[in-house]
Amino acid sequence: MERNPLRRQLQMMRKSFFDQGYLDDQFVQLEELQDEANPNFVEEVVTLYYRDSSRLILSIEQALERKPFDFNKLDAYMHQFKGSSSSIGAKKVKAESTLFREYCKSGNKEGCMRCFQQLKKEYATLRKKLEAYFQLARQAGPMETACRPK
Amino acid sequence: MCKKLVQMMQGNVWISTNSLGFAQSMTLLLRFQIQSYIQRTMYAHGTSGEQSNSYSRFRGLRVLLADDDDINRIVTKKMLEKLGCEVTAVSTGFECLSAISHAENSFRVVVLDLHMPEIDGFEVATRIRKFRSRNWPLIIALTASAEDHVRERCLQIGMNAVLQKPVLLQGMAAELQRVLHRTGDGV
Repeated sequence: MERNPLRRQLQMMRKSFFDQGYLDDQFVQLEELQDEANPNFVEEVVTLYYRDSSRLILSIEQALERKPFDFNKLDAYMHQFKGSSSSIGAKKVKAESTLFREYCKSGNKEGCMRCFQQLKKEYATLRKKLEAYFQLARQAGPMETACRPK
Repeated sequence: MCKKLVQMMQGNVWISTNSLGFAQSMTLLLRFQIQSYIQRTMYAHGTSGEQSNSYSRFRGLRVLLADDDDINRIVTKKMLEKLGCEVTAVSTGFECLSAISHAENSFRVVVLDLHMPEIDGFEVATRIRKFRSRNWPLIIALTASAEDHVRERCLQIGMNAVLQKPVLLQGMAAELQRVLHRTGDGV
C-alpha cells in the first residue's frame, strides 16, 4: 500500500477514471511513453489535446448553426475529433463522437445536436477531472525511485 | 547479527528447534511494499534511458512520420523514439514527399497517416513508389479504418504494412519487426 497519502489519493483518483469509464487503455499507453526524457508527457499531451480540440468544437458548433446542414463536413470534423480523443484514451468522449458520426451518416439533424450537447458535457467533465489529477500529481511530488542493491 | 539486520528491515527471523533442542528450521519474515502500477510500468521501461533488449534492434532506425493531427503525431513520434528510432515528423503529405526527395535523408521507414487533407496517404505512397523501388523506403500506413478494402488498396499501391489506430507500442514494434525482417533488414 502506498505510504505517501497524496500518492495514495492520486492512485485512487486514477483508478476511478478507469472504473467509471472516463479513460481507457490508450491513457495507459501515454503513461508508458512518459519517461525521464519527457517526465510530464501525459500532461503535455492532454493539454495539447484540449487546446487543439477546442478549435474543432468551435468549428462543429458553427457548422451546426449553418443552413443547410452539411453532414459531410460535420462528419469530417468529428472524424478528426474522434481520432485525437481516442489517442488520449478519452473513452466517453470517443463514444459520443462515434454516435455523432452515426447520426451524420443517417442524416439525423436532431440526433446530431442532442449528441453534441452530451459530447460537450463529457469533454468538459473529463477536462476538470484531469486538471485536478495533474494538480494533485504535482503536489504529490516526484516518485521515489527505489535503490536497487548492486 | 542477522537478526539485527532483519529487524532493521522491519522483519524478523527465528529458529525453530525440534524436541531434542537441535535447530530444525529457520524462518525469515520480510515485508515488501507493493509497487503501484504506474511505478511498475515506468521501471519496466527503464529509469535511466536503458531499453529492453527486444527494442534495441530498432536503435538508430531512421523513420519519417507524416500525420496531420498534432496529438497523434506527438504520441506516435514518442512511441517510435521509445523504440529507439530516429524520427523526423512532418504534418503534411507535401512535407513528407519533400523530405524523402532530399538525397541526404535516407529514411528506412515511412509511417504514414492515410487520412491527411490536401494530399492523402494513398497519393503520397503512390508517388513514393513511382520514384523508389518496391521495398524502399518501407511504408507503414496508419488508419482508423478497419475495412479490408483499405488494407488491400494500401498493399496494391506498394505499402508494406497497415496499422490500425489508435496505435499501441507493442503493435508498432511488431509491425516494424515484421517489415524489416521481410526485406532482410532485420537482425
